[in-house]
Amino acid sequence: MKIKEVITTINQMQADGVIERQAIGGAVGATFYLEPVATLDVDVFVSFRTEPGKLIVTPQRIFDYLTARGHSLEGEYVVIGGWPVQFLPPTGALVEEALREAVTMDVEGLPARVFTAEHLAAIALQTGRAKDKARLLQFVEAGALDGGRFEAVLTRHGLLDRWREFQGQFLSETP
Amino acid sequence: MSLNLQQILASKRVLRQKLAGRPLAEKLRLLDDLRERELSLRRSGPPATSNVVREQPAKYRQGRRK
Repeated sequence: MKIKEVITTINQMQADGVIERQAIGGAVGATFYLEPVATLDVDVFVSFRTEPGKLIVTPQRIFDYLTARGHSLEGEYVVIGGWPVQFLPPTGALVEEALREAVTMDVEGLPARVFTAEHLAAIALQTGRAKDKARLLQFVEAGALDGGRFEAVLTRHGLLDRWREFQGQFLSETP
Repeated sequence: MSLNLQQILASKRVLRQKLAGRPLAEKLRLLDDLRERELSLRRSGPPATSNVVREQPAKYRQGRRK
């Protein structure tokens, strides 16, 4: 399985101290809870250790680490096991929390850090593109969300109004 | 087989539930296969033109992709 190489590599990066925290998000993250859907890349959310004396945090250390191990760069992606992998820093409180509260899942004996279903769904709601809404509907239809936990995430991040709007638009019997 | 839309939608739901319930490793293997298929389809299609309508990148990706 090629994607296992991605998981092994990011686990090793964390063990080697290149990144502080990591978790898989996006469509690959959603596959841990839902049916698989075609996607071309892997989103890995990471927090970086701040280097002493440096205020600006850059992913350069990640790129240096991976290229030294034979992985190639394609734009802002690093190709690992044939998969383009994008390393994304948390850009807001919701993604920061998702990274902190990510869970470890077992993939044939390999630990994989993944966002919780509730955080993936909340991020989809916040991002709000058509495909994010479709993913959110998948989470709801699959019964993959814990209602209490999901609502708590939405409340903490000011997304309740948007959720009600979404419910009215897609989950209501009367349009 | 039936042409009843409700039945078709119900059977789709069942299939999706079955897929979602497959072991994790199997689902990730399917992701590998789906990606290969998607790439193969894209390669066999006509080249994209500049006036194609595309989605906007996700907010967390804005400013990162060129």
